[in-house]
Amino acid sequence: MTGDVLGAIVLVCLGYLLLTNLTYAALVVVSIVENAVRRHETASQDYEGLATSRFTIPVSVIVAAYDEESAIVSGVDSLLSLEYPEFEVIVVNDGSTDETLDRLREAFALEPYQVFVRRVFATAEVRCIYRSSNHPNLVVVDKENGGKSDALNAGLNVARFRYVCGVDADTVFERDALLKGMRRVVEDPARIVGLTSHLGIAEDPERTMAAPKGKRPIDGRPLIAYQHLDYLRAFFINRLAWSRLGFMLCSVGAFQIWRRDVLEEVGGYAEGFTCEDIELTFRVHERFLREGRDYEIHCLPDTVGTTEGPGTIPKLVSQRERWQRVIDETVWHYRKMWFNPRYRSVGLVGVPFYLVTEVLAPAFELLAIVLFPLAVALGVFDPVVFGVMVAAIAFMNAALTASAIFLEDLQSRTYRTRDLARLLVLAPLDLVLYRPIIVWARLKGSWRFLRGDKAWHKFERNVRAPA
Amino acid sequence: MDGFALRVAVVVLAFALPSWIVLSLLVVLGRVRYERIRREPTTALSSRETERLIRRMSRRPKTEWGKWRRVAALARLEQAHHPAVPRLVRAVLADPDPRIAAAAIRTLGDIGDEWAIDLLISELRTGGPRSRIAAELERLAPAPGRKLVRLLRDWNPTVRFWGATLLGPYPDLGESSLIALTWDPDPNVRAAAVETLGSRSGAAVGAATLACLDDSEWFVRVHAARAAGHVLGAAAAPTITRLLADERWWVRTAAKDSLRAVGTDAVPSLLSMLTHSDPFARNGAAEVLQDIGFVDFLALDDPSSPLLERIYAAGGEKLREAAETRAQGMPERRVEAA
Repeated sequence: MTGDVLGAIVLVCLGYLLLTNLTYAALVVVSIVENAVRRHETASQDYEGLATSRFTIPVSVIVAAYDEESAIVSGVDSLLSLEYPEFEVIVVNDGSTDETLDRLREAFALEPYQVFVRRVFATAEVRCIYRSSNHPNLVVVDKENGGKSDALNAGLNVARFRYVCGVDADTVFERDALLKGMRRVVEDPARIVGLTSHLGIAEDPERTMAAPKGKRPIDGRPLIAYQHLDYLRAFFINRLAWSRLGFMLCSVGAFQIWRRDVLEEVGGYAEGFTCEDIELTFRVHERFLREGRDYEIHCLPDTVGTTEGPGTIPKLVSQRERWQRVIDETVWHYRKMWFNPRYRSVGLVGVPFYLVTEVLAPAFELLAIVLFPLAVALGVFDPVVFGVMVAAIAFMNAALTASAIFLEDLQSRTYRTRDLARLLVLAPLDLVLYRPIIVWARLKGSWRFLRGDKAWHKFERNVRAPA
Repeated sequence: MDGFALRVAVVVLAFALPSWIVLSLLVVLGRVRYERIRREPTTALSSRETERLIRRMSRRPKTEWGKWRRVAALARLEQAHHPAVPRLVRAVLADPDPRIAAAAIRTLGDIGDEWAIDLLISELRTGGPRSRIAAELERLAPAPGRKLVRLLRDWNPTVRFWGATLLGPYPDLGESSLIALTWDPDPNVRAAAVETLGSRSGAAVGAATLACLDDSEWFVRVHAARAAGHVLGAAAAPTITRLLADERWWVRTAAKDSLRAVGTDAVPSLLSMLTHSDPFARNGAAEVLQDIGFVDFLALDDPSSPLLERIYAAGGEKLREAAETRAQGMPERRVEAA
């Protein structure tokens, strides 16, 4: 009897895994089409012309920085080197307790100025605004600590341009990152209200970005390599397909372009959530669909930069549990959208997809991890059957991962061939080497969500090579 | 149960394993092929390839994918300077999808001949993706020159708007028409006209930009504030300074930008605003005096000056703190410079 129940539960778990993977396979097909269209679009673009054209739209780039002394200077440097006709960089020092502000002062010759700004959003007190003597388009806002959303809102108050691009301080960008993002916006600024694009990951982004495109290394350490694969899957299987299907539900915090008037209309970045990016994307969808307005939020396949990945397992767990929490918080907060035809594909497919593949996943994963070996131990399953099942799941994941690698390389040709080959070999081992860590982090995140914990638990930055 | 689970697992594995192998090969071999093509690029087309591309161009694709393949074929033919390109580009240009049409516009910009310019201008009139067309016409400057002036008299305000905008790089063309357009019924046209006049000079141009400072639409006043500063310099400062008390934030911001560009010649007008009844105007005047270096000059030269106190009173305590911090660092910087 116990064996039958156990067997049934295991089969349910297997069914869940099969269903989610089949859904991912379907999304891959959509992503292939989307990637092909974007690739043709990219090929037909005149980036040189765009880089000097008066007809691009100016952008305010906002960086929220809290205790980023090791990464801030290189991050801001990469932003100031962007090739774009008109942009400003607004760094918001969110009450850092380390030397973030001093590093900025030294590197960019900052001087205090009184700047009268619009107070569209209430934020923690702004202590001082600095301008750079050698970079006229750099503004640094020093404020009391209020969290990332509060810092981004302070940046929005200072922003002068019609589009804003929120970025993370630990990310190093390609010179044409804004051009790549904004080229899509320029085509239809009335409808495109938000956009994100693919980012690579490395332990030390400056070192990776120092190599020319096409010869960029992918970190050799398996922990970083697997995170790289995770990013590839998230962008090239999920977001790209969602973008095509009209429910792009996560404009990532490391590179998110928004039309400023839309952010002002929806109330800016929300402070009641663990992170700001997913929630904001949901909120914009909810508002526009509820009001029956025409709009688009996109994800592009272009690699626009490299962000820092946690270099140790505890740091990774800390980051991923936070991500899980914010997904749970957001999906729960917007539960009125679940299966609601009023919210079209977002309500009928996008949010339920999130619910099934992200919110409920930790429960199924936990069941599978505990019950599969138990079922084998109790003789419900033959060890050979168990082995074949594990191999089937591992190679299904590997095939999905390989398609993400294929799409990324087709679009950007960023990384060395031998590193891509190494990733392809690592892919089938993801299930046993990397997935358990993520499952643990997701369980932790879900547990903390249930307890109502909303702390940031920021991971300590990796030690970087001197610039 | 074992049997069912095993059958499912084997079926999945039978699909997944070969898929992984094939995709991995595709990645590696595709990359090797890409590197080879990159090392040995070819521009010449074989007759077989040309035929294939022309065939692809002559089909009417129904899917988006097919349309993009058509665009790629056009680009390849254009790269090889095929004589059929002028005929083929018209077909792609007629596509209702603006992104596909935009690709044809890019090709026209690459060609850049007289007929390509005429076609671009004609598309601008008939309603293609206008910002893309404008970008290509600007890239082709100065060739389109005189042809653009005719757009200023078009019945369609959108065309007049683009005509006025595109005349930016041509300081000798269409001045009287642009001045006339500052009275256009469409505010977008007025804004574009005054923006373009901002890169010119002369009394008539100056008068037109000043008149636009009182426009009923705020975005026309924004462009007028910037244009008047460029055209008239210090002479426009008293009028632009008035806009520091405008009801719209963006107009006040544009006025500040313009006064900063005028520099110390704007000081007398700015000082007169320090006691204005509108706090935004007082703040704005103090901010500009700070930004053009007048506050720093006073803070170093005569820190107890009543004038400096008036500026501090208008700009608030933070302006004073910032000025004092800067003043502390200045002697050090002078020594470093020396």
